[in-house]
Amino acid sequence: MSIAQAGSAPAPGALPASPADTVVSLCDVRKTFGDFVALEKLSLDMRKGELLCLLGPSGCGKTTTLRIIAGFLEADSGHVFINGQDVTALPPYKRDTGMVFQSYALFPHMTVAANVAFGLENLGIPRAERNRQVDDVLTLVELNDLTHRYPRELSGGQQQRVALARALALRPAVLLLDEPFSNLDAQLRTRLREELRRLIDRVNITTLFVTHDQEEALMLSDRIAVMNRGRIEQISTPENIYERPATRFVAEFIGRCSILEGRANGGHFVSKAGLRLPIDAAPGDVTLIIRPEYIDVASPAVTGIVADARVIATSYFGALTRIQLSVEGESLMMEKHFSAGRKPKVGDAMQVVVDPKGIRVIPVSAY
Amino acid sequence: MRDDAVDVALKIAGSIVRPLVYTTLSLPAVIVVASSFTAGDDLRFPPEGFSPRWYMAAFKSDMFMGSLWTSTKLAFVTMVLSLTLGMAAAFAIDRRSFPGKHAFRTLTLSPLIVPMVVLGLGLLQFLAWMRLNQSFLGLLIGHVLITLPYVVRTLNAGMVLFDRTLEQAAMNLRAPPSKVFRRITLPLLAPAFVSAGVFAFVTSFGNITLSIFLGFARATTLPVQIFAYVEHNYDPVLAAVSTLVIVVTLGMIAIVEKLVGMEKVA
Repeated sequence: MSIAQAGSAPAPGALPASPADTVVSLCDVRKTFGDFVALEKLSLDMRKGELLCLLGPSGCGKTTTLRIIAGFLEADSGHVFINGQDVTALPPYKRDTGMVFQSYALFPHMTVAANVAFGLENLGIPRAERNRQVDDVLTLVELNDLTHRYPRELSGGQQQRVALARALALRPAVLLLDEPFSNLDAQLRTRLREELRRLIDRVNITTLFVTHDQEEALMLSDRIAVMNRGRIEQISTPENIYERPATRFVAEFIGRCSILEGRANGGHFVSKAGLRLPIDAAPGDVTLIIRPEYIDVASPAVTGIVADARVIATSYFGALTRIQLSVEGESLMMEKHFSAGRKPKVGDAMQVVVDPKGIRVIPVSAY
Repeated sequence: MRDDAVDVALKIAGSIVRPLVYTTLSLPAVIVVASSFTAGDDLRFPPEGFSPRWYMAAFKSDMFMGSLWTSTKLAFVTMVLSLTLGMAAAFAIDRRSFPGKHAFRTLTLSPLIVPMVVLGLGLLQFLAWMRLNQSFLGLLIGHVLITLPYVVRTLNAGMVLFDRTLEQAAMNLRAPPSKVFRRITLPLLAPAFVSAGVFAFVTSFGNITLSIFLGFARATTLPVQIFAYVEHNYDPVLAAVSTLVIVVTLGMIAIVEKLVGMEKVA
């Protein structure tokens, strides 16, 4: 079995491979705050038109990365390219980025229209043309009937759309979104997420998106860069990130999984507690990752590795019940729908089947 | 039960003390204003009849009108200078880190701590040494000094509440720093500037101690003039002039109230 493929990060020090296709490129960017290393030699390329998400826990450096691209923070070393131009030394107002702030940062003393027109004004676009463009972009976000309102008179969702319109009005090379949904309630968040994706698809703009919400990242992104402690752990498509996590951190941060530590030897894996599973990996210390959907209740219809299990804990989520199992001293997690009255109880003995396709092997050196 | 008794006692005490305090605070002003409208020749309360004659007398008096003009001019120039210097100081304190920042901050507030008489005496000697005594400039320097703490404090309070993300947003929208300052920072800090300016104006306009030390024949401020006049005369024109001072001060405070609300300032 091959190890999960990490996304192709550029070799350290390399300039963007094909400048024509690369909109934003970070080369070996390092940033420290006193003793704290926020970014450790970070390199990242963004392709034209893609929606890339920086995902990670707080303090992982994702917002720092965004602010370095926008120019609000200066990198200690390394380079930032936007459309092939080295902007490392340029101030924010000379960089072709459009940012939506976490707090939206709408100008409270200006109307919606004036907020959106502000950037166009700075570009020196004549009034008539400016008004037309403001109309266009406000129509795009469906706010053209609120042009004369002040930000404080708008709902959170409307404010977010104004912030988005204000950033889009300049047609920037890259749209930067800093946790744009964190100030909204859960229901609105889901709806606006879909709206945002449609909008971004329609204007076809390269977008960098920062979030700590894995669901948001999986749903919105073309590619996800999972960050941890100032480094990119893995950069790839949402599917690859979920199905083929490159490191234990990625596996644990995205989705749920059972983790088994042990040794691979001669086509077998033996966990620390003694659970044996057939795998195909080079001998050595390895970690196994098994997503809960690859474990099922044994029945003649499912094939795989059959094992005796005991139920340790159950949590009911309606459509699914999450069951914590003890299998030969190891803890495995299963998620399955049980029809009424069939839900296993704590202490029940049962047979489970592990789908070998769902076992990911991560060499211990990978984290 | 004991707590209840204490509560009741405090409540009763409060309802007695409160009107006393308010009365004591407002009574002098009420007496002055009321007696300024007297029709009689003596400054006394209650006034005899009603007449604006002492206001006519006040407006006709070159002495009082001259010093009213001096005070107004001085307060205005003081306000402008104090705002300019105070803004620079407040920005430095708010946005820069430099060695001795804390000491600098304390220094800008120190004129509040030094007794005014000591300050006046020190300035008198210092200005004489600088050959600036008996000059409008000297008086101005003194007034800027005593208004600066109010300006720095008020501006700083405004800046602490100011969301600097807005400046970043403006920069992200291609606005160079000068434009960010003009279109975003300044308009949003306007309430703080207005209240700081009013504080400076009112403080300078009402000051007497420093003006006695630093004033001179051609630059007698209104409070000093009133003070000098009352030593030898005691007629209702004083009440009329004092009422004018109250009106100017109240007018300035009304501006603050209208623009930002007093509760945000004090």
